[in-house]
Amino acid sequence: MKILSGKIMNYKTLKIDNLDLFFNEIKKSGKNLLVTKKKGTTTYFSSFININDVDFNYIQTTISPKSVLFPKVEELISFKKDDGIYVMTEPNIEKETIVFGLRPCDAVGLEYLSNFFLNENSDFAVKLRKENTTLITLACKNFDENCFCTSVGLSPASTQGTDICLTDIGNGLFHVEIITDKGEKLIAEHSALFSNAEKINKENYVAQVPLKFDCDNFTKNIKDYYNSEKWVVNSLSCLGCGACAFVCPTCTCFDIEDETNLVCGTRLRCWDSCAFGIFTLHASEHNPKPMQSDRWRHRVLHKFYYSKTNMDTISCVGCGRCIRVCPAGMNILEQILDLQEA
Amino acid sequence: MQELNNKIAELLTNNLVSIFISYKRGLNGKIKPAFFTKPDEVDENYFGDEAQQNLAVYVHKPEVKKYSKVGILANIFALKALLQLYAENQIKDNYLTIVTVNQDNKVIVFADFNEIESYIAQHQIEKNTDEHKEIDKLLSLPREERWEFWVEQLSSCIKCYACRAICPMCYCSKCTVELNQPQWISVPAHSLGNFEWHIMRMMHLAGRCINCQECSRVCPMDIPLHLLTTKINSDMEEEFGQIAGTKTTLDFALNTFKVDDYENFIR
Repeated sequence: MKILSGKIMNYKTLKIDNLDLFFNEIKKSGKNLLVTKKKGTTTYFSSFININDVDFNYIQTTISPKSVLFPKVEELISFKKDDGIYVMTEPNIEKETIVFGLRPCDAVGLEYLSNFFLNENSDFAVKLRKENTTLITLACKNFDENCFCTSVGLSPASTQGTDICLTDIGNGLFHVEIITDKGEKLIAEHSALFSNAEKINKENYVAQVPLKFDCDNFTKNIKDYYNSEKWVVNSLSCLGCGACAFVCPTCTCFDIEDETNLVCGTRLRCWDSCAFGIFTLHASEHNPKPMQSDRWRHRVLHKFYYSKTNMDTISCVGCGRCIRVCPAGMNILEQILDLQEA
Repeated sequence: MQELNNKIAELLTNNLVSIFISYKRGLNGKIKPAFFTKPDEVDENYFGDEAQQNLAVYVHKPEVKKYSKVGILANIFALKALLQLYAENQIKDNYLTIVTVNQDNKVIVFADFNEIESYIAQHQIEKNTDEHKEIDKLLSLPREERWEFWVEQLSSCIKCYACRAICPMCYCSKCTVELNQPQWISVPAHSLGNFEWHIMRMMHLAGRCINCQECSRVCPMDIPLHLLTTKINSDMEEEFGQIAGTKTTLDFALNTFKVDDYENFIR
């Protein structure tokens, strides 16, 4: 993954105690503020209500924040028969949204997702949502055995794809990096809470995630692995659900469903997964990817080869969500290491 | 556990099975399903409390079926699931060699499903009183509040179908949701569609579900599906006297007509 070492526009300091005020001010200004909340053993994004509900210590949320750009279900267009005439309506996507607490890997994931949807045929819904969304990442102080961001060219200190990045530097302080104009605008609206700061060495304050594999080497050799038995052996436990694709920040596949009767209806877009048996099923009943191992291989190749060919970047950010959520113990990292083992 | 490892290796060496489904520790330290095809792989075998997944689900997979003779390490839930599947004619004779380890750590290789039926009868699973308390609490609420509870819970469903995928009893080659002539159940994860999916699945499971609660364990959104499975199980037992996963012969209350049925509408 190319790290666009974006010029950091400005540095600030934010007292952690001032977060409550910051959040409440944002809420009062009518914007939709999403924060990380704990529920049992999982952390998820939810509307801010109270500072005490906010979880700062999670390693990673179960499900990615991609819903802010690409929701699990959305209405693309609706129609109604009025006086014998069909009237079409496009949905209203206007609310300004701030997302607080996503990880640096997620910001890169969302950047890939936006680029995917805003390509030649720019998606009007994703475009509008992206324009109305400000991201505030929280640098990772911890990681687990499923994280591998550094192996895909990223790091817990990365500022790629985000508007503002916060790093806990101890003594009740966040070091604030303002990356974009959008970030600058948000800080300016609450300038009293932020004090000026100098650049610091973030490496001293973020998690050090060990390298697990050589990604360039993997992508280069991936064609040679195509016929390996290891795809079959390692996918015997896969049961073909959509959990990995749905929690993934860069999975963009979708299905279009029309729900209509003779008088009114709606065209919906919803998440889809290449792991489902019927994902590639033709109307003739031919399936070019008939076995689960074909579909598993496709998923890994898409992340590490097909997206590199089509969009000049690999599309895995090493967040580890797919590994954590899999009901059957599938592990993309394990697969990659197994293939690379001579 | 050496006795178990030896037995699995022996089954593979003597060609009584060509693949054995068990557990092993994955790269990240978590226990996951293992598929042993050679005796020397069995050193990786894991047996213990961390082995949670109900492995019975794998007997349907075409990639597994092609091995013709399959061995499987079954905990009590997998045993019940396999017995129910056998009653539903989903398991060919001579397909499976089923192994369990009892509470005294003794390795048992079942000769047939009659032995499994006896074993299950001797190893009743205690009712989880906390779960029943939670269910009773929900039942004590007025209908509207109970509805609201499930609206809120099911609104977070993302229709990943992990619940369906992990369930040994969901083996339909074409699931109802995969049919679109007509579209019986909505595909997108809106509130109504999520209700349709979960209600339909529970109705298809009532009388067949053995309450392993894997669906609840694997749900990425932490939806308490185990409350539904526990309830349908106790309903089937109370109303029809039927408990899934206990007999070699099909005893399915919802599609069996008995001449002494006290309802007379069907006469």
